[in-house]
Amino acid sequence: MLGLFDNDYGADGFRKCSVTGLQIHESVEKYVKLFALTAIVALLYGGIFAFTVAMTRWEVVGLLGPGDFYTHLSLHAWNLLIFWMIFMEIAILYVGGPMVLGRKLPLERLAQLGWGTMVAGALLVNYAIWTTSAPDQAPLLTSYAPLPSDPLFYGGAIVFLLGATISALPFFATLWFEKRENPDGTLPLVSFGAFVTGIIAVEAIVGGLVAFGYAFAWRIELIGSIDAALYRQLYWIVGHGSQQINLVAMIVVWYFLTHVVGGAEIVSEKVSRTAFILYLFFINLGAAHHLLSDPAVSTGWRIFNTSYAFYGATFASLIHAFAIPAGIEAGRRKRGLGGGLFGWLTSAPWKNPVFSSTIFSIILFGFLGGITGVLMGQLQLNMTWHNTLATVGHFHATVVLGTTVAFMGLSYFVIRTMFMRAFISPKLASIQPYFYAGAMSIATLMLMYVGILYGVPRRTVEVVENIPGTDFSLAAAAPLFNVFGLFALLAILGGVLFLVIAVGSVLFGRKLEPGDNDDLTPDGGLYADGGDPVHTYEMRGTFVLCLIFLGAFVITYVLNWYLLSQLWQIGA
Amino acid sequence: MTSPIKPPEGNWWDQTVNRRESIWLGLGVVWSLVLFGWMSIWTRTGDQNPIGETYQVSESEFREKMNAYEEAAEETEQGLVPEGTDVYMAGIRFAWDGAPVVLEAGTQYDFHLSSYDVQHGFSLRPEATLSKQINLQVLPGYEWVVPMTFDEPGTYHIICNEFCGEGHRSMHDTIIVTEEN
Ligand code: HEM
Ligand SMILES: [Cu+2]
Repeated sequence: MLGLFDNDYGADGFRKCSVTGLQIHESVEKYVKLFALTAIVALLYGGIFAFTVAMTRWEVVGLLGPGDFYTHLSLHAWNLLIFWMIFMEIAILYVGGPMVLGRKLPLERLAQLGWGTMVAGALLVNYAIWTTSAPDQAPLLTSYAPLPSDPLFYGGAIVFLLGATISALPFFATLWFEKRENPDGTLPLVSFGAFVTGIIAVEAIVGGLVAFGYAFAWRIELIGSIDAALYRQLYWIVGHGSQQINLVAMIVVWYFLTHVVGGAEIVSEKVSRTAFILYLFFINLGAAHHLLSDPAVSTGWRIFNTSYAFYGATFASLIHAFAIPAGIEAGRRKRGLGGGLFGWLTSAPWKNPVFSSTIFSIILFGFLGGITGVLMGQLQLNMTWHNTLATVGHFHATVVLGTTVAFMGLSYFVIRTMFMRAFISPKLASIQPYFYAGAMSIATLMLMYVGILYGVPRRTVEVVENIPGTDFSLAAAAPLFNVFGLFALLAILGGVLFLVIAVGSVLFGRKLEPGDNDDLTPDGGLYADGGDPVHTYEMRGTFVLCLIFLGAFVITYVLNWYLLSQLWQIGA
Repeated sequence: MTSPIKPPEGNWWDQTVNRRESIWLGLGVVWSLVLFGWMSIWTRTGDQNPIGETYQVSESEFREKMNAYEEAAEETEQGLVPEGTDVYMAGIRFAWDGAPVVLEAGTQYDFHLSSYDVQHGFSLRPEATLSKQINLQVLPGYEWVVPMTFDEPGTYHIICNEFCGEGHRSMHDTIIVTEEN
């Protein structure tokens, strides 16, 4: 097909990647490309609704009325948060499993079936959203019962989740075969992280099948009633579980890309792997932070779970926050690239969009997404964030500035090294991460501010300029909305730029020969010779960056608690 | 040389951890415990907690309670003045039953929150200071009893902040808080 799936493979079906040195089998590469391309189609389609949704919330434009708005918001959520991310994550499993391990993709038929089932589920969900009619309501992301959604919607969601499970099977089979042949071997960190992602995904999917199955059974009247509190609890197993997949997959991508294009090493296998194990045990408890301002769950349950059992998973993220930049610092110091406190960072390949996307993702996820997540995940602070646009700001910091930006970097990498295409415009490709991450950061911050400082609710078409039936409105928030609107437009432009470069390069980019990708490799080659053990190199720069991060964390924490303490007395 | 795409070499578990990384780990543990400790302590000593008794209740049961409450309350031009310190409020697409209500500053009221139909969001702020706002989820089938004491008189606005249907944006009402007697 259009030569998209060609490369020069040897007689055994393998080729050696000139950038990573990996032995890549045709079968793996084919499916990585297929899932990644499908993801990009979902991004393109869902991105259209970013425009309509943002321009509706900016009431100066006020693009859509309530009927269309909720349809568009549902399409935005499902195509971006679910389809763009999960198709890409299957690609990541195949990279982390068979590609890194230098194996064929086993059970190829299942990969094909899984892809087909996921596509069918995605189409069904989209069809159901477009054709929803009374008494059904647009599902948005959550389809909160007892507000009914189209039965086809629940069906589509179930089909999609089954498809994702089928697609993951070849990945698990790979690890099974690898372990059988190599019982004493240790998996590479990326494969290990992908494995943890896979397990967390299975937990999320089981929750999703139960939640949507329950709602479906109620909607087609197999059961007479549905308990709103129980549905919320079941729903968030998948609703939040899928965010944990996004998180862990993103961290795997961080380790991978900082290494292959930045020359990063692993400063401590023990510490980084322990962090993944902490995720495995604790991260799914975090689903509880969606129920903090709910009536039906006990205080002890909420505190234990929202804290991931004493902040076990937050601690794991703090570990990666140090380990990944330290890996870059030590790896580059070892190569003699840059001295002083930050020379290793300033000398890095900032023009390479693979590198810059990855770094922006790390920084912005940490400062904007991670900190706010812990804040709103505290039992009491949640009351001031819950269902306001600040929540939307938080998760755009995680899934857009964090995961989407990282996945854009990964896409660039796949285009160069697997599609073997030059960018149609290297200049624009270098600029795109700065443009997108910069504009989206400001849009995201504005969402947080209008939510926290003015209590503007999410999921509504107006209330800033007008609340029907009263003189009262939240007009004081209008100036910040102007900033939001402008930067949302710029961010959307940055997204369009990504799509033009990605799709354009895959279709029309100059075909590259293996030697043409040498510019991606860090100076001194991927594997610098000699040097001391990695832990003996200085990590001063990283330490300072981490202290700045902790300082920002403490300050925003104190500020949020101060705001809360100013409220009237609430609760027993 | 270490690499995330190669199996680690030798005895990787016993490799030394860089001193600065160890210090960071220590800071991380301390911060995690602070986060947990502060949140737990605030449930005992703090004045703002999303905590109250919850009862399962059917729509008709809650409507009965509401009727009894409204009958006992005094109707005024500004809204209902409750007889005692219990305040009943229920979401129904797209209005708040039981509102507007007139309360006094400085008195602790027990808010009984529920819904007659779908999920709603009880989002409350004083007109004068929009940054002071709280948001509580309201579920059909559950009655949540949340105590509140307003310290400042004024008009407080309730906005529904959980999507409940196309008319969602118009789901607004008020609580009038008068001077302490
Ligand atoms: C330029 C890019 C984007 C802009 C300007 C944008 C804007 C918005 C806005 C304004 C809302 C809130 C609407 C409301 O609650 O009233 C929203 C909701 C949402 N967005 Fe985005 N967005 C963008 C990209 C993304 C991406 C890439 C993802 C996922 C990876 C995403 C996931 C979501 C989700 C899950 C919701 C919530 C839907 C719901 O309430 O059910 N957005 N977006
Ligand atoms: Cu509503």
